[in-house]
Amino acid sequence: MLYRTAGQFKTSYQADQALFPVRQDAVLLGVVLLFAWVIFPLTASEFAFQTLLIPILIYSLAALGLNLLTGYAGQLSLGTAAFMGVGAYACYKLVTLMPWLNPVVAILFSGAFSAGVGVAFGIPSLRIKGFYLAIATLAAQFFLVWLFEKWGWLYNYNASGAIQVPNLEMFGVYVAGPQASSVVQYFVVLAVVTLMTLVCINLTRGNLGRSWKATRDMDIAAELIGINLMRSKLTAFAVSSYVVGVAGALFVFMWRGAAEPNLFDIPLSFRILFIAIIGGLGSILGNYLGAILIVGLPVLLNTLPEALGLPISSATVEHLNIMIVGSLIVFFLIIEPHGLARLWALIREKLIIWPFPH
Amino acid sequence: MKHVAKLAAAAALGALMGSTALAEGLYTPNLAYRTGPFAATGIPLMNGQADYMAMLNARDGGIGGVMVDFEECETGYSTEKGVECYEKTKGKAIVTQPWSTGITLQVLPKTNVDEIPILAPGYGFSPMADGKVFQWAFNAPLSYWDGASIILKFLQDQGDLSGKKVAFLHLDHPFGKEPLPYLETKAEALGFELLPIPVGLKEMQNQSAQWLQIRRERPDYVIMWGWGAMNAGAITEAVKTKFPMENMLGVWWSGHDADLDIVGEEGKGYKSVSWSFPNPDAPVMADVKQHVIDAGKSQASADELDGVFYSRGLVISAILAEGIHVAQEHFDKAEISPSDLRWGLENLDMSEARLDELGLTGMVPPFSTSCSNHAGHSGGWILEWDGAKFVKASDLIMPDSEAISELELSRAKEYAEANAPWPVNEDCKM
Repeated sequence: MLYRTAGQFKTSYQADQALFPVRQDAVLLGVVLLFAWVIFPLTASEFAFQTLLIPILIYSLAALGLNLLTGYAGQLSLGTAAFMGVGAYACYKLVTLMPWLNPVVAILFSGAFSAGVGVAFGIPSLRIKGFYLAIATLAAQFFLVWLFEKWGWLYNYNASGAIQVPNLEMFGVYVAGPQASSVVQYFVVLAVVTLMTLVCINLTRGNLGRSWKATRDMDIAAELIGINLMRSKLTAFAVSSYVVGVAGALFVFMWRGAAEPNLFDIPLSFRILFIAIIGGLGSILGNYLGAILIVGLPVLLNTLPEALGLPISSATVEHLNIMIVGSLIVFFLIIEPHGLARLWALIREKLIIWPFPH
Repeated sequence: MKHVAKLAAAAALGALMGSTALAEGLYTPNLAYRTGPFAATGIPLMNGQADYMAMLNARDGGIGGVMVDFEECETGYSTEKGVECYEKTKGKAIVTQPWSTGITLQVLPKTNVDEIPILAPGYGFSPMADGKVFQWAFNAPLSYWDGASIILKFLQDQGDLSGKKVAFLHLDHPFGKEPLPYLETKAEALGFELLPIPVGLKEMQNQSAQWLQIRRERPDYVIMWGWGAMNAGAITEAVKTKFPMENMLGVWWSGHDADLDIVGEEGKGYKSVSWSFPNPDAPVMADVKQHVIDAGKSQASADELDGVFYSRGLVISAILAEGIHVAQEHFDKAEISPSDLRWGLENLDMSEARLDELGLTGMVPPFSTSCSNHAGHSGGWILEWDGAKFVKASDLIMPDSEAISELELSRAKEYAEANAPWPVNEDCKM
């Protein structure tokens, strides 16, 4: 009913290849953007900004970066957190060495360092595939975290070994550091994430994205039809690491405010990989749905007993939370192994032909 | 259906009562960790803290006639969860108890904006002791640098340190690196060789590489800054390599009874510096037993009660309760605000007499704070494992305040400069 596509005729190739050939999709996205850009900032509390909105956006972006590499180009990576760390440390060095630099420029630029490191660790992908490549990227994970710990210059020789975000101004408003207000940080994150998403959607639909998908589906066939595998794989590593690096810089500068090396250890890599897998590999939307499930849901579940007035101790809530989220992950993967994005696609198809089943 | 209706009614009633209970009272949330990798050490501390407040509520009807609303927010020692808890509780909290150096570092810069005091007794960032710079942070009764200084003083009593070799086995984490600046300056001044040996978070349970290094280097002493699984790992490894236990000393978080129970007799002689000591005869223990434990309101197990960590939990809550009490007296109101509590924590006077009055005889050294001194630098005891429990092995040892305060001032200044604009308490003339 709501999703009826009858009467929407395409009269040109341009209309047929538009980002949203179905009008309702565009309207739905408009509503989501309206919520994200107008309604949430006006209504959200400090708690909602700091524990739901900002982290979900940042985790989505990191998962998006990983999804480009794993979901689109088929190169399994376990080093996401380390590449996030490269972005964060690069951004820290940039703003402490050049305090006059615009923070958003610094964040966007720090992704370049991460891209460089990503390409270097992507070189083994030219020879090895699948699980073996995952082990090679695991090397990046161990090496880089070790480097963050041992190389004092990276954290300006702080006694604690942690990096602390200074107060950064942009056009007279604090955007990072303790003085920055949550709503400003939210807008910066949202702007960067929106921009990145737009770029990624178009990249994956374009020439580069098609060569990635060809590489993923069968690399020998791709090579035979004239795709340069080296170029395809290394650009996937570069673009993916760039997005992940920007997410890492946002992670520390727009949200955490401080970071120690072990923050970027394997658990974070796995968390992002889970977001990408549960959301749906090879999709853009899935990253957002996955982040909502993995990052947002536990926070909401934590506040539930108190809102209902149930006298459960905080530790018990935590245990229950782990069990509920764990079983939900299993549940969603059983009903739809291709992730939440696929689940949404099925719902949408059903809605289009509703009320007739065929 | 009837059941559902009944349940719903009960839930609604619960919500109503819950909200009325929250409406009044001193809301002092605790960012507890009863889950996760550090739960074993966290649980007795959390129990001690909760039991002291429950005792005050049952015995005196709260503090100054207002009930204490002591709520735990579970972090599992994860910084991410800690920040979530901080955001959740900061609306009505009068204090934040972050309970991990990572969370403290995260929350510290926000305190000037949110204006809620952080109470981190014996942990966190050592320069927090400089109250002029860190207006909202308190690490009373003493900081890690004080702890390191007490250990060095104790070792100096055993003999001249010059020419000796001291290994510093520490967790490779902000917490473990905390005393390094102080130890480095002291190594130069006293002429001993400092050998820092980091233990990565992943190597906590398997420290064979570190102990191989210790065996090769043959240090005269091992100072340990460990936490959680690292303590048990180091102690069993020390026993295995036959390192003389009497030459091994730990920080107060490395003096957990359960870690030593594993080795029992063989751990005899192991020492740990401490600013709290279990005194089963102290009046407060009797009160806790009567009002909380016998009333079935405690989660603590019987063998926990005599442990160092449970009594440390009690002391921590006692410091907070005293801060609230001082603020109530000064501002002449029962329902105090976070900034009132800050004044209270800045004007603590835990004298010997006051400690007796509170029933904490012998459980914590006397100390006092001021607007410029947020740590109190109380001094501490060296505790020694006698094979079954910790006993006092020294009188109260005072830290070397001169060297520490010099370092504190310079590090605090550095921090404020790196985080400019950082408001400094100009009114404090001390």
